[in-house]
Amino acid sequence: MLTSGAVLTGLGVGLSAISGEVFRVKPHQPLPIPAKHSGDQPGEVAKLKTAIENVSNELQHLAKKAGETSAEIFEALEMILQDESLLEAAITEIDSGWDAPTAFVNAVETFAELLSGDPTFEERLADIRDLAKRVAADIHGISLGLNLPEEGRFVIVGEDFSPADTAQFTKAVVGVITIQGGPTSHTAIICRSKSIPAVVSCSMAAELVDGVQVLVDPVGDRVVVEGKDSDATQAISFVAKSTEPIIPVRANIGSLEDAIAASTTAAEGVGLFRTELLYLQSTTRPSKEKQIASYTEILKAAPEGPIVVRTIDAGSDKPVPFLDMPKEENPALGVRGFRLVGPHRDFIVDQLESLEEARKQSGREVWVMAPMIALATEAIQFAELARKAGKFKVGIMVETPSIIYEIPNLKGVVDFISVGTNDLSQYLFASDRLHPSLGTLLNPWQPALIRALSEIAKECEAVSIYSGVCGESASDPAFAVVLAGMGFDSVSSSRSQVGAVRTALSSLDKSQAKDIYMAVLAAKTSDEAKSIALAKLSLLAG
Amino acid sequence: MATISATVTIEDPIGFHARPAGQIVKLVKDSGLEIRMGRAGDSLVKANSPLSLMSLKGKTGEQLSVEVDTEDEAKAQEIIASIQHFLKG
Repeated sequence: MLTSGAVLTGLGVGLSAISGEVFRVKPHQPLPIPAKHSGDQPGEVAKLKTAIENVSNELQHLAKKAGETSAEIFEALEMILQDESLLEAAITEIDSGWDAPTAFVNAVETFAELLSGDPTFEERLADIRDLAKRVAADIHGISLGLNLPEEGRFVIVGEDFSPADTAQFTKAVVGVITIQGGPTSHTAIICRSKSIPAVVSCSMAAELVDGVQVLVDPVGDRVVVEGKDSDATQAISFVAKSTEPIIPVRANIGSLEDAIAASTTAAEGVGLFRTELLYLQSTTRPSKEKQIASYTEILKAAPEGPIVVRTIDAGSDKPVPFLDMPKEENPALGVRGFRLVGPHRDFIVDQLESLEEARKQSGREVWVMAPMIALATEAIQFAELARKAGKFKVGIMVETPSIIYEIPNLKGVVDFISVGTNDLSQYLFASDRLHPSLGTLLNPWQPALIRALSEIAKECEAVSIYSGVCGESASDPAFAVVLAGMGFDSVSSSRSQVGAVRTALSSLDKSQAKDIYMAVLAAKTSDEAKSIALAKLSLLAG
Repeated sequence: MATISATVTIEDPIGFHARPAGQIVKLVKDSGLEIRMGRAGDSLVKANSPLSLMSLKGKTGEQLSVEVDTEDEAKAQEIIASIQHFLKG
């Protein structure tokens, strides 16, 4: 049992603290495989009837909560659930030996088959099959959804959250704590973009129980049991001393919506435009016309300034449906990013040519860069393709350790580089960036990462290559100051952080940023590095 | 018990879909009577089952038979008129 005032350490996401009541999310288990019952037919029928009643109540509850139009859907589903013919069919299944959950699933499937193939019912079919799943889950005592409260102020606690989970976050979710997961986990990225304070990789949170009041203190990288708002670690309140930051702050985008939203921030252009979205969701190869239209629209909407476009970054873990991408044992280390130029050179050329046309139509300044470059010769190959396709500034992502040692060989080949710190950490520390228990290794304040970054900035300066950082770490205002101190020429942050990063970089001059970086370089642990930076910054903010 | 029969036409432009099925089931349950529907010549299904009604996959313009088990002619006619109304979409 955790006592009042207990401090649970983790990695903070966000700049403001929040308190709320703990709501533990139970991990969902898979449904058991179809099974026979032990001979108690009336018992199975009773179990089934109870479960139908429970799910029916659940639907009534959802109908009440939903607006008028959705309420009708839940009412229709409830009527289907209570269908007597369905119950009769399920009882027949029980009579032939199947246990209650299997019997109900089979009965629903009988009707689903009758209804399938008719476009009028296609949408309903998924709903009806979902009903069967809900009933089966109820009998097994398995919770399928997160069942998050709709009202109140809750801090949800779980192992880690998948995209399906985070999609269920309600407005009552004011804070998030994950036992596993690191700073680049899906949970961290979503919480950052939705401005939900979170502490991830917080192993002691396993002991938190429902109903306990906690303070989520991301700036302090901790959770305080029964903590008061006044216990929150103060984010350094940077005071902008000039109107312009010491280096430009750009925004990361991935879609038209992002581009529009980013243009409402103070971002100076786009430092990372991820182009995968256009392809990952499409089952056929988009025509050049379609690519040109999408890119033109996005380029036109993006915030003023240069737009750095990353060519397709896909791999067998993020497959593009229309490219043949065989399953790989280690997708993070496989044929991904620019390595696709082997089997799919024409596709990358298509993309570059579409971007050139969009560049002309939008009249914007476009820089293009290739992901997953491990050799200078690959950079040369990309630069040739890109310069042949259009009038771009040409660059590469620096995310493999090997390319760091080849920066001198990039002289005259590329105009710029951009560091993807998430993948650089993954490859530098040999730690899967999505692995739930490797959060510590992926902490951007790790001395080894700081030294690698500093080496990159120094090497680029020596050969006059423009350098930027576009990983998640550049969304942390204090870390962005350290990056500027190292000599990077720009940073690119997630949209919600552009303002905060910009203010931090406007609060000091380059020599002060360099002092902070030099002090941080002396740190022997990630905690020490972060504390040194924060202490120095607090002094400046005075 | 007497059975009163009639023929109704699916006029709903998207056919006999979930919504009219739901409305008919509610009407049937409220009436407390046994009512069956289906294509003339085929075996009819119980109209208290939305899944069975939907399984008929009735298309726009198709005719369906309705059978109401009751002695109350007026009530049966009222129910049949309502069913026809629901099938107008």
